Amino acid sequence: MLELKEIYFTVPDKEAENGPAEKTILNNISFTFEKGKFYGITGPNGCGKTSLAKTIMGINKATHGKIIYNGKEITEMSITDRAREGIAYGFQHSARFKGVTFRDLLAIAAGTDDEGKLMDILARVGFCSLDFLDKPVDSTLSGGEIKKIELATTIARHPGLAIYDEPDTGIDLWTIEPMVKLIKRQITDYETTTIVVSHNKAFLEAADCLVLIKEGQIAYTGDLEGAKPLLSDLSVCRYTDLCEGEIDAQCYR
Amino acid sequence: MLNAIDKKLLKAVADLDHMPKGPFNIRKNGKLLSREVSGNINIESNEDGTGIVVTVKPGVIDESVHIPVILSQAGLHDVVYNTFIIGEGADVTIVAGCGIHCAGSGNEGHEGIHEFRVGKNATIRYQEKHVATGEGKGKRTLNPTTKVYLDENAVVEMELTQIGGVDEAKRVNEAELGAGSALIVTERILTEGHQIAVSENNIVLKGDNSKTNLVSRSVIKEDSKQDFYANVEARAKSFGHIECDAIIMDNGVNETVPALRALHPDAELTHEASIGKIANDQLIKLMSLGLTYDESVDRIIRGFLK
Repeated sequence: MLELKEIYFTVPDKEAENGPAEKTILNNISFTFEKGKFYGITGPNGCGKTSLAKTIMGINKATHGKIIYNGKEITEMSITDRAREGIAYGFQHSARFKGVTFRDLLAIAAGTDDEGKLMDILARVGFCSLDFLDKPVDSTLSGGEIKKIELATTIARHPGLAIYDEPDTGIDLWTIEPMVKLIKRQITDYETTTIVVSHNKAFLEAADCLVLIKEGQIAYTGDLEGAKPLLSDLSVCRYTDLCEGEIDAQCYR
Repeated sequence: MLNAIDKKLLKAVADLDHMPKGPFNIRKNGKLLSREVSGNINIESNEDGTGIVVTVKPGVIDESVHIPVILSQAGLHDVVYNTFIIGEGADVTIVAGCGIHCAGSGNEGHEGIHEFRVGKNATIRYQEKHVATGEGKGKRTLNPTTKVYLDENAVVEMELTQIGGVDEAKRVNEAELGAGSALIVTERILTEGHQIAVSENNIVLKGDNSKTNLVSRSVIKEDSKQDFYANVEARAKSFGHIECDAIIMDNGVNETVPALRALHPDAELTHEASIGKIANDQLIKLMSLGLTYDESVDRIIRGFLK
């Protein structure tokens, strides 16, 4: 479905002392994501999770390697073309606009401004009220509200591959469970291959497969049980009893 | 009567497909083309014949008046002085605007000097659009001036729009606000090519609890230039806010100078200003929804100027 072959992503190292140098963010990533599966990408801060997600979407350009989606190489494709191929992306840090409403974005995402169809999407998303539709997507929205917009515009595209980068950021705890259920329903109903970048327990437990990234490389792939020792060892995520009692117990931080 | 170009201009500046219902005054090439008055809203030429006087009776609610100007005569520089007297407690919409069609090499221009005297507790919504069309090489100039005097508790909402085709524009907005009155100005200007637009705004908050909000949205494309000057002076316990945002594209140049002057200890004046390119995260978001780069730019600008 989605194959990553020897993906490298490097950026200029601004902290290098001896002249121009490069910093490797993704270091030889190869992995195949299967159709209709739920993947959780996790790892310590700065390990390359978001960089990997952005490289799949074309926001970052892979320095080396190939990306194959549904049998077609998309490595050099623009963001627009990848979107039109069926890849959708929910951003960790959402853009805010002036003079653009949620309705505008949803209509672009859905490819229609038909009121009934937009309502169907809202009904599916569930947690966005109708009066929310005409809200401007600007600085007046809370972080949680704008993340809901991200989720809705991703869902609206009926993508073959949906990538969600930290969808729980700013979301209240009551909304996380419905969000997980919605993503799983998308997988059941549309066989959407789903990649969620997260530290959140709810998302990682829901995933069919975890991909643990460490220093730009894949350190583990498999189920959550197998990942638990690594999560603790890496001090990325704690899966111990101590975590359960914390206020932020939802997160493997 | 109206030819095809006139109709196109009227549609562009006043959203009129045909003669409006209710009072109107259409001026074409420096002369009165057509006028209609109502029992509540009178329109008559001023004493020296240089413009019109629009008088709205006190207490008139939910009525509108259209006063568009169209120009298609090469070499004509039309200057008009219009006065609006709005009676106490009235609540009306005034749709103005000027459309220029330039087909030849002669310059064409319009200067509309509008003075508003807004009575106690009256509310007006004033919409003014400026558009220039045509393939001619003559320069199209539009220099509008609005002078607004708000009596106690009056409210004026002004939407001033210049979206395309105008080579040179110098706008002057002046206002004096009485006690409890409010002035909301939203200005949207798009320039391209070698067009130049200057906007000067001088607002004086004279009465206690008067307030103003001045919003400017500018898009400066290609080699065009826009300057925006806003002065808010508070002489009483009052509130004023200036918000000016400019998107620069290509080689566009912008100067934005908001100035606040508090002459009363209880004045509250704020401003925010930003000038820059279209934010990359906005472009990427829209492209991730399937729009091309150009479609994304267009959508962002349309929203920004909406």
